[in-house]
Formats: sequence, C-alpha cells, structure tokens
Amino acid sequence: MSNSLVKSSLVKVIKKNIKIDVLLIFAIFGVVIASLIPPQILKYIVDQNLVPKSSDKLLNLAIIYMGVLLFIGVFDFMKNAVLTVLGQKITKEIRLEMMEKLKKINTMFFSANGTGAVVSRFTNDVDAINSMFTSGIIGMMVDCLKVVGIVVSIWTFSVKLGIGTLLLLPFIYAVTRIFQKKMLKAQIENRIIVGKVNNHISESLKNVQMIKSYSKESYMEKNYVEYLLNNYKTIEKVNFYDSVFSPIIQLSRAFVIGFIVILSSTQLNYLGISLGMVAASIELISNLFTPIENLGMELQDIQQALSGIHRVNDFYNLPEDQYTCSELKAEDIIPSRADIRLSFNDVTFQYEKGTDILKNISLHLNPQEKVTFVGRTGVGKSTLFKLTMGFLKPSNGSITINGIDVYNISNSEKRKMFGYVDQSFHMINGTVADQISLQDESIKKEQIENALDFVGLTDYVVALENGIDTQVNSDTLFSQGQRQLLAIARAIVTDPPILLLDEITANLDSITEKKFISVLQKASKAHTILSITHRLSSIITCDTVAVLENGMVKNVCSPETLLQNDDWYRDHIALEKLTWR
Amino acid sequence: MAKLTIQPMKQPDKIINYWKKEKFAVACIVIFGISFNAAAILGPIYQGKLIDYIISGYSLPSVVILAITFVALIALIQLMRYFKRFYIRRFANSTSATMRLMIYNNIMHKSIEKLDKENRGDLMTRAISDVDICVEGMRKFTTEIFDTGVLMASYFISMLVYDVKITILSSLFIPVAMILAEKLKKTIYKYTIAFRTKSSYVANIIYDNIENAMLYRANGMEDQNLSKYNIELEDLQDKAIKANILENSMQPVYNVIAMLGVITVIYLGATKVINGGWTVGNFSTYLIMFALMATKASKAANLFNSVQKSQISWNRIKPYLTQYKIKTTTFSVDVDNTRLSVDNFSFCYPIGKGNIFENISFEGNQGEIIGITGSIASGKSTLGLSLLGLYPYIGSVKIDGKELKSYSEYERSQMISYLGHKPQLLSDSIYNNITLGNGQDISSVLKDVCFNTDLASMPLGENILVGNGGIRLSGGQQARISLARTLLNKSKIIVLDDPFSAVDMKTEEQIIKNLKNNYKNSLIILISHRLTIFREINQIVFLNKDKTADYGTHIELMKKSEIYKSIFNLQSTGGEKFVK
Repeated sequence: MSNSLVKSSLVKVIKKNIKIDVLLIFAIFGVVIASLIPPQILKYIVDQNLVPKSSDKLLNLAIIYMGVLLFIGVFDFMKNAVLTVLGQKITKEIRLEMMEKLKKINTMFFSANGTGAVVSRFTNDVDAINSMFTSGIIGMMVDCLKVVGIVVSIWTFSVKLGIGTLLLLPFIYAVTRIFQKKMLKAQIENRIIVGKVNNHISESLKNVQMIKSYSKESYMEKNYVEYLLNNYKTIEKVNFYDSVFSPIIQLSRAFVIGFIVILSSTQLNYLGISLGMVAASIELISNLFTPIENLGMELQDIQQALSGIHRVNDFYNLPEDQYTCSELKAEDIIPSRADIRLSFNDVTFQYEKGTDILKNISLHLNPQEKVTFVGRTGVGKSTLFKLTMGFLKPSNGSITINGIDVYNISNSEKRKMFGYVDQSFHMINGTVADQISLQDESIKKEQIENALDFVGLTDYVVALENGIDTQVNSDTLFSQGQRQLLAIARAIVTDPPILLLDEITANLDSITEKKFISVLQKASKAHTILSITHRLSSIITCDTVAVLENGMVKNVCSPETLLQNDDWYRDHIALEKLTWR
Repeated sequence: MAKLTIQPMKQPDKIINYWKKEKFAVACIVIFGISFNAAAILGPIYQGKLIDYIISGYSLPSVVILAITFVALIALIQLMRYFKRFYIRRFANSTSATMRLMIYNNIMHKSIEKLDKENRGDLMTRAISDVDICVEGMRKFTTEIFDTGVLMASYFISMLVYDVKITILSSLFIPVAMILAEKLKKTIYKYTIAFRTKSSYVANIIYDNIENAMLYRANGMEDQNLSKYNIELEDLQDKAIKANILENSMQPVYNVIAMLGVITVIYLGATKVINGGWTVGNFSTYLIMFALMATKASKAANLFNSVQKSQISWNRIKPYLTQYKIKTTTFSVDVDNTRLSVDNFSFCYPIGKGNIFENISFEGNQGEIIGITGSIASGKSTLGLSLLGLYPYIGSVKIDGKELKSYSEYERSQMISYLGHKPQLLSDSIYNNITLGNGQDISSVLKDVCFNTDLASMPLGENILVGNGGIRLSGGQQARISLARTLLNKSKIIVLDDPFSAVDMKTEEQIIKNLKNNYKNSLIILISHRLTIFREINQIVFLNKDKTADYGTHIELMKKSEIYKSIFNLQSTGGEKFVK
C-alpha cells in the first residue's frame, strides 16, 4: 500500500480534534479501570462478610458496588458518543478525499469501471471503514486494555494464576488469528461480488428500455441470480466461521474455570488463595473472555473493512493525471483570442500496449484556424479530442497551446479555453438552466439565456412550465435534436476561444442544421475550431481538412486541394453525391 | 448443505412469509434457540456448585468430576448455540437474496412510464442498503426472541426458585430500563429517518458525479461540485451523529438502570448467606444470573432500535415487493405476411406537454421500408418509440389486422425490434450483447452491420468485453453492435431510429444494401433526418411542425410537401459545396 488514504484521513481527523481525542482517552481509561473494581468488592464481601458470616458494612459495600457500575455506565456512554462523533468525521473526511481523487483520476478509469461499483466504494466501503474504526479498532484497544487490567488484578491475587492467565493469552490469540485469516479471504471475495450485484442493478436501470423491448427481463434476472448466488455462497462461508468462533471461546472459558476450581480445591490448594479470591478470579477470568469474545466480533468489523480499505486505498492510488504546473490561468496561456497556436507534436496514443490508436500526429494550427477531421468511425477521432483537452496523456509527443502542454492545464481553467460538444448529451439532475450552467454559480442567468438564444431554443424553453427553471425529471422533456442543441449551449455558455465539435450535426435535421451552422459560422470568427465529422457534406466551412486513416494523418490541406489529391476523399464525395442525386 | 438456488416467493409483501419460506432453517433456529437458552441456566448453577465444593472441602476426585461435568455441559450448550447462530445467519442470507431477487423482478417488470418517475439513486439505495438493514433487523429480531425472550424467562424462573422476594425487589428496575428504551424509540425514529433521507440524497450526488464525471471534467466543474458535496457531507455528518449517538450510546445508561437492583441482591443475598439460607455458591449463581438478565434487558433497547430501523427500511422496500412476475411467452403470431396499418394515431407523454403528434395514418407490408422524418422536435423518435406499444396511445395501430394494444407485451417484443439513439450496451461480451442469452450464431448479422472487419482486429473476437456501457468501443462500433442486436431475430417489424448518425457514409450505404437484401421478411421502419436514403424506400411519413404528417412515396412528397422538397434539395446539394 503505497499511499493509504484511510490512514492519512484517520491521522488528520485525530489531529484536528485534540479535545475530543483527550475526552476519548479519558473515557476509555475510565471504563477500563472502573470495570476492574466490582470483582474486588465482591472478593471483599466473600472474604469479610460471607465466609466469616458478618454483616459488617454490607449495605455500604452494596451501594459502592452500584456506584462503580454507575461510573462504568457514564464512561461507557461518553466513550460511545465521542467515538460516534470521531467516526462520522473520519467518514466525511474519506468521502471528501475520494471525491478529490475522482477529480484527478485518469480519464481511462471511467471507461473501465461501472458507476454502481464506484458508488459502492464511496458508500458501503466507507461505512465499513467507519464501523471498523468505532467498533473495530477502538473497541479492540479498549478490550486489550481490559485484558491487561484483568491480568494485573489476577496477578495481585496469585502470581501462579497470573502466569497461567498470561500463558492463556497466546492460545486465545492463535485461535483468533486462524479465524481472522479464513474470514478475510471470504470477505474480500464477497465484496467483489457485492460490487457486481450492485452494478448489475445500475446497469439494468440504465438499459431498461432495451431490456423491455426485447423481453429480456428474465435473461437479465438470470444473470442477477447468478451474482446473488455467488454472493450467497461466499456469505455462507463467512457464516460458518462467524458462528463457530464465539462458542469455542465460551467452551475455553469453561475449561479455565474448571481448572482454577480444581487447583483451588481444599486438598490441592495449589494457588493458596482465599475463597473470595477464587470467586473474584472466576469473575475476572469470565470478564477476560468477554473482551476476547468481543475481539472476535470486532474482528468481523475489521475484516469487512479491511477489504473495503484495500479497495478504497487502491482507488486512491490509481494513476492520476499529472499536472506539473497547475497554477497556470487561462488568461496567461491565451492572452488574446486572436493569438492561439494549437500544436500537435508527433502525438502517439495507445490504450493498451501494442495497439496504437493514433500514430505520429503532427499538426500546427494557425490562430483561429478551422480544422475538420474526417475518417472512418473508430479511427480515433474522438480520442484525439480527449487528448486535445488533456484528458488523456499521449503515449508519446505532446499537444500544446502557445507552447503550454494541455495536459498540464487544470480542468477548471480548461472550461474557459475549450468548448466541447460530445456525440451524446448527458442530462444532469437539475433544471433546464442547470443543464447549461452545470450549476456553475459563476455563470449568470443572462449568459444562460444568451446561450439558449444562440442555439435557438429560447421559444421552446420559455413555453415550459417554469421557463429555464423547469426541473428536468424525465428523459422526454427534450427531443434528441434539442438535446444536441443543449449540449452546444452548454459548451459555448462561457464563450471559450477554442471549440471542439464532435459530430455535432449528427442528430440535427437539415433545416435546423443549416440554421445552426450559419449561426456557428457567425460565431466562429473569433474561434479556433476543431470539428469531427464522417459526413463530408456536413463539414462546416473550414480552412483545413485532415484525413485520418489507420490512426495517422493521411492528408492535411484545404478542401479544394484535397479533392484533387485524395482518392478516399474524392470517392466519398462522389458516393455521397451518388446516393443523394 | 448450502441451498444452491435462489427462488422467487409468493406474497413477498408480508414479512412473516420470509420465515415461513425458510422452514428448515427456522425450525433449527427454534429447536436450538429454545434448548440452548433453557440449558444456559446450568452454567451459573454449576459455577456456584463449584465454589460450594471448595468451601465444603470435598475430595479432589469429586471436585474433578464436577469440573468435568461442568465443562461437558458447557460444550453441549455451546454446540446448540453454534447451530442456532449458524441457522440464523443462513436464514438472513437466504432472505436477503430472495428480497433482492424479488425487488429486481419488480423493477424490471415496472412499466417504463413508472420507471421514468423513479429516482435512480434512491432506487439503488432501496435495492441495496435498505434490504441489508431490513434483513439485519429480521435477523436480530429472530435471534433475540430466543436470546432475550427465552433466556430472560428461564433466568427469571430459576431466580424465583432461589428466592422470590429478592428476585421481585431486584428486578423492579429491569422493566424501567426497557420502557425507557421503548419511549426513546420515537425520537430515534425521527432522527434515523432524517439521516437515511440525507444519506440517500448524498448517494445520489455521488452517483451523479461519477456517472457524469467526464462531462464535469470537460467543463471544469469538479471544484465547484466538490465544495457543494462538502457542504452536503457536513450536513450528513451532523445528522449521522445525532441518529447514531441516540441509537448506539444509550446502552450503558439502560444497563445502569437495569442494574440498580444489584444493591438489593448483594445486601439481601449476602444477609441470606450469613443467616445460612444460601450457600456462597448460591449467592454467586444468583448474582451472575441477575447481571446477565440486566445486561440482556439493556440490550433489548438495541433490539427495539434495530427492529425499528428495519421497519423504516421495510416500508421503503415493501412497495417493491410484489408478486413475482414472469412475462407470458406464449406467441401466436404469424411470422410471415406482415401488415402494419396506422390509423389516426396520436400520442402524448403522460407527464407531458400535449400531444407530440396527431392523427397520423400510414401503412406498410413486409419487405418494405418506411421512412419517418421531420424537423427537429417533430416527434419522429417518439413515433418510432410509440410503435413499440410501451406507452399508451390514442387511435389505432394494427399489426396483421390486430390492434397493437391487444397483443401481449411479449408478443410485441417478438414482433417488433427497436433500436434507439443510445446503444444501451451491457458490460459484457459483444456476443452476449447481441444474443442476450439466446445462443445464436452472430456471424451473419455482424456481416450485415459491417462489423466483421472491426472484429478481425480484435484479438478476442466476439468474446471481447465492451466495457461499461460499451465504452471500449467507438461510437460507430457501439451503434453497429446495437444494430446487430436489433436485426438478429429478423423480427416482423424492425424500427431503426437514426442508426447511422455515428456511422460513416460508405458503411451506411453497405448496411442499407444488406438490410434490403437480407431482411425481405421484415417491415423496416427507418427514422432519419437524412432524406437522401429515402429516395429508394417505399413510403415516407413526413412529420410537420404543426403535429400533422404528410404521407406518400418520395416522388409524391416531392410534389406534395414544399418543406420536404426544400430539405431534400438542400441535402442533395450539400455535397456540392466542395465541388465548386
């Protein structure tokens, strides 16, 4: 574990809350010490009252006994309350740090992991870590202290018995360890399956329309049952160990008591202690087993959390995007809109070793140049955009804006520089205005309205129940084409100097597209525009066309020259014309 | 032996049925629960006897025999305890699996219309953590019926046998502790509800942040989202502290109250020993029993809370626990001679903004391709979707002369294949995504969607995993895999909603050619805003902005509709921009 988030969060919270920590320590010692007193009182009663048959101070002793119990109760309550507070603070800290991490995590993480599984790390795993801290670690500490206290108490009665008790501890510890190891294995297995079970629900919800239209409910259910069954089996394994542990401890306790009694019998009198001490020792030894039995329970909490900790820490140690100079501001990088030099310097990219998606891409854009990338689907055009925005790190080479590597620019600055329109539009929770601003408070209502106006959706939105403040609750409020327009509004709302348009006209009908393109052209005067299209006919008027083939730039030149020189391009133009004529 | 199937159950909305269902496990719990707890009194009794044996100075062999008897008894008691614990856990495990299955079944069989209204994060919480909490409560309840109910009864009775007066006097405070715990239940309930609601809300935020992570990243929104998230976490933390302190920290307090009677026990008990009524061993036995009973009583509060919490969760999941549903898979439709007739068809969404389109009529037969087009937001996607019959509609849609509504959902799904904008891929292999468990050969359909060349470059072929939502494939590849799924069964009617938007021209042309040649038994409804391909298809429905529609062949529409004509011409000349 190179970098433990759980550990660092623990340390951070503990450091921040010194007063609470002191209170906790006070309460813990209070509980431990106070709970050693009742057996001593008992011993006193047996030896001073019961055996000599004298009722001297008996009522006082009974009241003191109760008083000590009261103190134990108060300390215990204090301990629990303080622990709850600390535990929740730690939970919060870890969740926050995880979200921070999510911000920096490598883009590829999102393609490799199901949302449900990641959410479960944030929720279930962190909850398990909390209970590990509160009832696990601290519980264990308290119980270990209790064990020490009991051994010391017994030692004062009889050194022999004290040594015997000490010898007992490794045995109990060994049994505990065996269970610990067996259970950890089963628990880790189980956590992974739980993640799958949860992800299956999330995925089913996302694709419910498809599932229904193919009547595949039972197929999906069959897969779900398979996950559930695996889950069932791993839990069953855990259950066995869990069920058998505590009875074994209780049995050992009976052994020890029997043994002490035999040793203290009048004939043997090996220990040489009074009857009160025997009674107190039995009580203390019984109390010794309670914390050790608890250790078993706490073990389970810790086990559950350990696999959770592993997963949370693994998550925390996932590869990050490396910003080397993240303080750079958009205004520093692009002092003037009219002077943006975007360069692709021999860029090569691969998701997995050996399969290059893009190879040796070199392109140097003039300020406010409009470049269109064309090529077959799957040729890596969208990947090129992700690289351009610095979401992915090129395996080789670099992409720079005015000499600054885009990979080193912080995401918050990127929004001021790039407007990115994806092939698909992702709705977020919120109002129509939120769809455009993404709830960015720095974006004014006026800007949102301008953006809506720009894409021609004002009339439609104004007619909605609450205008731009209408909650978007269903998928059906906006049509496919309108969503695409919203995506564009979202990208241009901050008026960034560079626009990246990824198949933006794919879902627009011709009239809207034509109108839209003319608007975009008007706006494009002050923009550097990179666009992707596979429909040559919908290429927005551009200065340069870059043809991509097999991950390489096959040709870069003006559309006119391209028509003369590039066979693929010419073929396609001809094809389109053929089908359309 | 572990049970190796997870079976649906009847009447899952009655909580008692979960115990009825697990007859064997519950029978074991009852048998071992009662016998263990009843026998448990023997532990303290023998412990007292052991002490008495020492005082009385019995011979070593008799002390040893008694000690061995004591250990053997405990061994037997603990063996019963093991069985009780194991079967209670098995009961919880089975119940949890069954509940999850039933909820999943319910969600999957909800109408799309209803699912649209559900909050996804909340639904996830219900299907996951609420089930956990509910089952945990059921487990504790089952355990404590025996470990509290039977145990306390047997302890109380044996204590009465030892001394009626001391027992009654000392036990007075035990009910007080339990009543106090019961009274606090309401307050705890209130705080717990607040905490759970907030917890669900925060889970939803986390879900949104991860699901739309790329979007927020592309727009640099992560910092702001983070600070909002921080505020929500802060609030959640406060609510959690309140709820948890009340719930978990009160036990020592109850314990102190329940233990108040210990003064009586020690004073009167010791006096009784001094007067010769009890042996020291009796005193010890009695004290142990009393302490155990008081501790149990103080834990009863935990039981109340757990059951209470479980009730909250149960109420949240109960609406999702309905009769197990299976789609009837009887299918009595002629696979040949497809005829679709749409007459005066109108449609509006339930949440809606009036009709999307009105009074549309058209017809088609197998082997034909019907095009549907229209301007943005004219409802062409909705028209395609509504032909699936998943939403209610007005007017008439007949397939082979029978109304769409009167076909079963299963029949409709077998007659009509639909491809929407979203590829809706599962994180599984290409093969499983296309066949969805039907086990057919997919090579021909992959060829039809021109995926065979893509497949050649994939080392694992059709077994390659597509990633979450198909993310490991390009947009065009996703669309074509999704198209292959739609085409696989050569349904009577195939509805394709703009399947080519992420596919390049050459591929699109080839796919359309394949569709024409290889799907002559199907009626294909092709929704697109590219009119160029409509020249070669049979009928076209052109949706106007005023919710009406023009219908006819391409040539007819070129004459009939000015807008159609102008759009068509626009698109046709589009290619010429580069020629000049």
